[in-house]
Amino acid sequence: MITAYKCKACGQMMYPYHYRCIKCGAREFDKVAPSDSAKLLTYTIIEQLPWGFDERGRVLGVIEFTNKVRAMALIDVDADRDEVKLGMKLSVHWEPVRDDYGEKVYGIVCRPA
Amino acid sequence: MKPVVIAGAGMIAFERRDDDSLVDMLAMASLRAMDDAGLGDHPVDAVIVGNMASGLFNHQVSVASALVDKLSLYPAAAERIENGPASGGSAIKHGYQAIASGMADVVLVAGGEKMREVIGPRATDVVAYMAQPEAEYVYGVSLPAMAGMFARLYMKKYGVTAKHLAQVAIKNQANGLLNPYAHIHMKITMEGILTHPDSVVSNPIVADPLRLYDCCPVSDGAAAVVMTTPEIAKTLSSKPPIEVAGIGQATDTHALHEREDPTDLKAVRIAAEKAFAMARCAPQDVHVAELHDAFTILEIAESEHVGFFEKGEGAKALANGVTSLDGHLPINPSGGLKARGHPVGATGVAQAVELVWQLRGEAGERQVRDAVNAFMVNFGGFGNNVVATVLRRES
Repeated sequence: MITAYKCKACGQMMYPYHYRCIKCGAREFDKVAPSDSAKLLTYTIIEQLPWGFDERGRVLGVIEFTNKVRAMALIDVDADRDEVKLGMKLSVHWEPVRDDYGEKVYGIVCRPA
Repeated sequence: MKPVVIAGAGMIAFERRDDDSLVDMLAMASLRAMDDAGLGDHPVDAVIVGNMASGLFNHQVSVASALVDKLSLYPAAAERIENGPASGGSAIKHGYQAIASGMADVVLVAGGEKMREVIGPRATDVVAYMAQPEAEYVYGVSLPAMAGMFARLYMKKYGVTAKHLAQVAIKNQANGLLNPYAHIHMKITMEGILTHPDSVVSNPIVADPLRLYDCCPVSDGAAAVVMTTPEIAKTLSSKPPIEVAGIGQATDTHALHEREDPTDLKAVRIAAEKAFAMARCAPQDVHVAELHDAFTILEIAESEHVGFFEKGEGAKALANGVTSLDGHLPINPSGGLKARGHPVGATGVAQAVELVWQLRGEAGERQVRDAVNAFMVNFGGFGNNVVATVLRRES
């Protein structure tokens, strides 16, 4: 799973890593593990994917974990895309999100909770 | 700083150009700008090329040196400026700095991209390289997908509808019909792209809620300007030099999810504020604008963020015809990225070329009347590096 970073000076939560805090510029952080549930802030359903994907209708979203870490994630709703709603509760998993020349690349995968 | 003007402007038609290399396109656009400026044998001190990804699209790098060679402009200094889709706007900024500082007297700025050398999904992938690698790119995000996620929130928050988005496309493609340099010459209607049941086929979803006609095409093309001092410009040609009155640039977080309010295009707002402050004018003083409508939602959002309209009023202004060619504030008379096309590195320079023509009264059938102040936004990344520019005709 991803590691998020909390600024020791101002408490700002960050993901991915920055060498300086995006809010106050401080350089020291506590590592934070994201919680195992999240809500959906926004999403899209991509019908025209970039090179490297042999599929249509991939749902990507921006999620906010219950401990306020934010990230992009793959939203796995099988065939039922009407299920996807803003604000919906999600369970969070660490699973392959793309295949890079035979090598599985892992990322955040969410399913309706 | 010395005042800086654009003395000459030129471009080639944006389209699929299988027979021309990137450097050929840059050279053809450059010659038009040089001839337009009346440059003759006057030396060019520097050549600056705006380009995002020649190495990936065309297997060629050091394209500014290659352009100097094609045009036999040795020993001019030469650099390529890469700032994603804002490469053109950034290249003009660097041209400005070279003249204003006194380091150069005459600078040729050319922007170009040859994207159709690769197939569509590959082009989508190359453009997606500007996303945050481990937090965005790995998921298969495309730029339309980022715009889709932005659009979903923006539409909900400000009452923008699919009909408003279609109105941007219809307006800009109507303007594009009047622009011989535009990639897309096709009249579209609300029925054809939205309200008719068959529109789900003629205008399919690309990245929900955005459809095909909400997205700019993938194009080849180049545009160029000659920048110099007002004094030198007057010795070259009788055409009115166009003052580069203000330039502003601003950045924002790389990852979309790290923005406190993901509907706030902070870099657009700050870049515009800086450009207007430098030009000592206000959004209300602008007579014509070229905004970066890579996606229809962006024209509406940018028109609000730069200060033309209050938040939530941009779509209404559009619907009321304010931003149409015959409206109070025409936006994208060229057809914008939507119709002119978006060869990534060419776009910022093409926006400036259009505005030079508008300010000189050379824009033909799409001429906006009596424009003195013109404004452009060149939007890099998904809004994480934005260049705004004010151009002005001497009154």
